[in-house]
Amino acid sequence: MAIRRISDIFGGRRHLLFSGLLLVLLFVFLLDLLVIDHIFGPFVYFYLFFTLLIIFYGIYPLYVNRRLTRYYWERTKRHRLAVIGLSFIIFLVAVAILGPFLTQDPTEVDFPNKNLPPVGFSAEQAIYDRNTGNFITTETPGTWHHPLGTDDKGRDMLAMLVSGTRISLQVGLMATLIAIFIGLIMGVVSAYLGGWADNALMRFTDIMMTFPFFLLLVFIVFIFGPSLWFIILAIGLTGWTGTARLVRSEALSLRTRDFIMASKSLGASDRRIVFRHLIPNVLSSVIVIATLSIPGVILAEAALSFIGLGDPTVTSWGLVLHAGQRSLDTAWWIAVEPGIMLFLTVLAFNFLGDGIRDAFDPRSQV
Amino acid sequence: MNNAILQINELKTYFFTRLGVVKAVDGVSFDLRKGECLCLVGESGCGKTATALSILRLVDSPPGRIMGGAVMYHGEDLLQSTGARLRQIRGNRIAMIFQDPQSSLNPVFTVGDQIMEPIRLHLKLGQRPARERALSLMAQVGIPQAKERMKYYPHQFSGGMKQRAMIAAALSCDPEILIADEPTTALDTTIKAQILDIFRDLKQQKDMSILFITHDLGTVAGIADRIIVMYGGRIAEAGSVLDIFDRPKHPYTWGLLNCLPTISERREKMTPIPGVIPSLIDPPQGCIFYPRCQWHMPVCQEKRPEEFVISGEHIVACYLHK
Repeated sequence: MAIRRISDIFGGRRHLLFSGLLLVLLFVFLLDLLVIDHIFGPFVYFYLFFTLLIIFYGIYPLYVNRRLTRYYWERTKRHRLAVIGLSFIIFLVAVAILGPFLTQDPTEVDFPNKNLPPVGFSAEQAIYDRNTGNFITTETPGTWHHPLGTDDKGRDMLAMLVSGTRISLQVGLMATLIAIFIGLIMGVVSAYLGGWADNALMRFTDIMMTFPFFLLLVFIVFIFGPSLWFIILAIGLTGWTGTARLVRSEALSLRTRDFIMASKSLGASDRRIVFRHLIPNVLSSVIVIATLSIPGVILAEAALSFIGLGDPTVTSWGLVLHAGQRSLDTAWWIAVEPGIMLFLTVLAFNFLGDGIRDAFDPRSQV
Repeated sequence: MNNAILQINELKTYFFTRLGVVKAVDGVSFDLRKGECLCLVGESGCGKTATALSILRLVDSPPGRIMGGAVMYHGEDLLQSTGARLRQIRGNRIAMIFQDPQSSLNPVFTVGDQIMEPIRLHLKLGQRPARERALSLMAQVGIPQAKERMKYYPHQFSGGMKQRAMIAAALSCDPEILIADEPTTALDTTIKAQILDIFRDLKQQKDMSILFITHDLGTVAGIADRIIVMYGGRIAEAGSVLDIFDRPKHPYTWGLLNCLPTISERREKMTPIPGVIPSLIDPPQGCIFYPRCQWHMPVCQEKRPEEFVISGEHIVACYLHK
C-alpha cells in the first residue's frame, strides 16, 4: 500500500525504481566524496547517472514500444547523412570509452621522436648532429608506432586525439544536459505560470542572451579557474536561453490545447499537468535542440582551450590545436588532425540533429 | 428546493481583453436537478461555454474572471472553495466533456492511461483494479476490444472513439453531475446519435444529472428535460422541452426554431435570424436582442427585460410577455 502510494507520487514503478537507484548512487557518491576520499572522480558518477537515465527513459521505452521505435527508425533512416552521423557518433563514443585503455599515455613526452608525421607522409626535420655540431636536414617518414605522428614534444597524436574525444564528449553531453535542464524548467514554468512570473523569467532570459556568450564564458573561467568542471558548468549555465525560449513557446501553445483543460476538469493538479502533460509533449523538440546544441558546446570548449583558458591538465582537441598552430609550417598534422576531428564531430551531430528533427516532425511527410 | 443539486445564482464571468470588458456571462441563474438533462442552447459566443467553465472555475485567468454570483453544490459555494477542494470535486463529483475529441486527449500517452488517470487520482485504486475499472468503462461507452484498445495512442482512435474515451474518463468516478460542452458538434450524424444514446442511458440508469451544452436545438429535442436558451450572456427563455418547442415565447427562440428543418410542415426555406450577435464589449443598453428583433418596442431600447414567469418553470426575458 505504502509503496503504491509512493509509486503513484513518482508516476509509476519505473520512476520509483529510477529514483531509488539515483538515491543509492547519490549515497555512494557522497560516501566516496566525504568518507572514502575520492576513489572515483565525479565523472564516473555522472556517467552512471547518465547511463541510468538512458536505460530508463531511452532504451526501456524504445524497447516497450517497438512499433514506434521502428517507425522513428524508418523515418530517421531516410536521411542518409543522419545515419552516417549517428554511426560516427557511436564510433566516437566507443573510442571515448575504450580508446584510452588501448593507446599510450597522451602526456608521455619523448623528445627524440618529436614531430613525427603520420603514416604515409614524410617531413623534413632539422636534426642536431653531435659529430659535426651542425643541424642537418633529414626526411623523416611516419612510423606505425605513431600512426598519426607525434607533436613537438614527442607525444603520440593518436593518444591525444583519443583523450580529446573523451573530453569533448564529456563536455558536450554534460554541459548540454545542464543547459537543457535549466532551459526546460525555465520555459515550462514561465509558460505555465504566465503573468508577471513569465515576464520576470523571460526578461531574465533576454538579459542572459544579450551578454556576449563567449565573453561571459571567458569571464567565468577567469574567475573560477580553468578546471574542466567549471568550464562545463559555465557553458551549461550560460547556454540554456535558446532552449528556454523554445520550450516556453511550445508550452504556451500546449497550454491552450483542450487536453490540458480536460485534465484540469478531471481534477489534475498543476504539478501533474506540468509533469504529465506539458513536459512529455515538449520533449521531442528538446531532444532535437539538445542534439543540435552539442556541437556548439564542443566548439566552445575547444575555443576556450585554444585561447589558453582550457583545463591545462586534460588533453583536449582545442589544446592540441593551440599547440599545433605554432608549428603549422613544419608540422601541419598537429593542428590539422584535431581540426578534422572537431569538424567531423560537429558535422555528425548536426546531421543527426536534422534527421531527428525531421523524424519527430509529423508535418514533414518526406 | 425541488431536489436541485447544483444552483447557479447570478453568475457573472467577464473577460478582460485589450478591447474592453467582455461580459460573457452576465447574471445567469438556474438549477440543475437530480437525474435531469438540462440543455443550454444558443449561438456561438452567447456565453454557454463560459457558464459551464465557470461552474468548475476552469475559466482561464487572465483574461477571464468570475466577477460574482454563487455556484452552490450540496450547500457549498464552489466559487469560494479552495483549490484543493475543487480538485477533489473536479472529475470526481462533477465531470466535464469537451467539444473537440481530437485535441482532448494527450497525444503522448495511451488512451487507457488517460482513462485510468482520474480513477487513480480520486478513487486511489492501484494499477490493476484501475485497469479493470477502465476496461468496464470502455465497454460501457461502447468501445469494442477494450483490452486491445487501451494500449492505443489517441492518433490511432477515430473521432467518435476518442469522444467515447473522453466520456469514459469523465464517468470513471461515477460523478453526480456531467457537464458536456458540445460533445457531439465535431462528430458526424450517425456517431452523434450513438453518443446521445450513451447520455440517455446515463441519465436513466445512473440517475446522473447532465448539463448539456449545444447550439443545435435538434440535438436537444431528443434528450433534454428542460432547456435554457441563452443570448448575449443572459438567459432569454427557460422551460421544459414542451414549453420551448410548443409554446416558445421569446422572439429569439422563435428565430432558432425557424432555423430548424422539419418533416411535418412543408416549409419553403428556413429563415435565419437577421443580423449578428452584438459585441458583448459594448452591448446595447436595453434588451440585447432588440437590434435583431422584429417585434421590438420603445421600452426594449431603454431597460433590460427581467425574467417574467409564464407558467410554472417557464420563464422568459421579454417585454412582449409582461
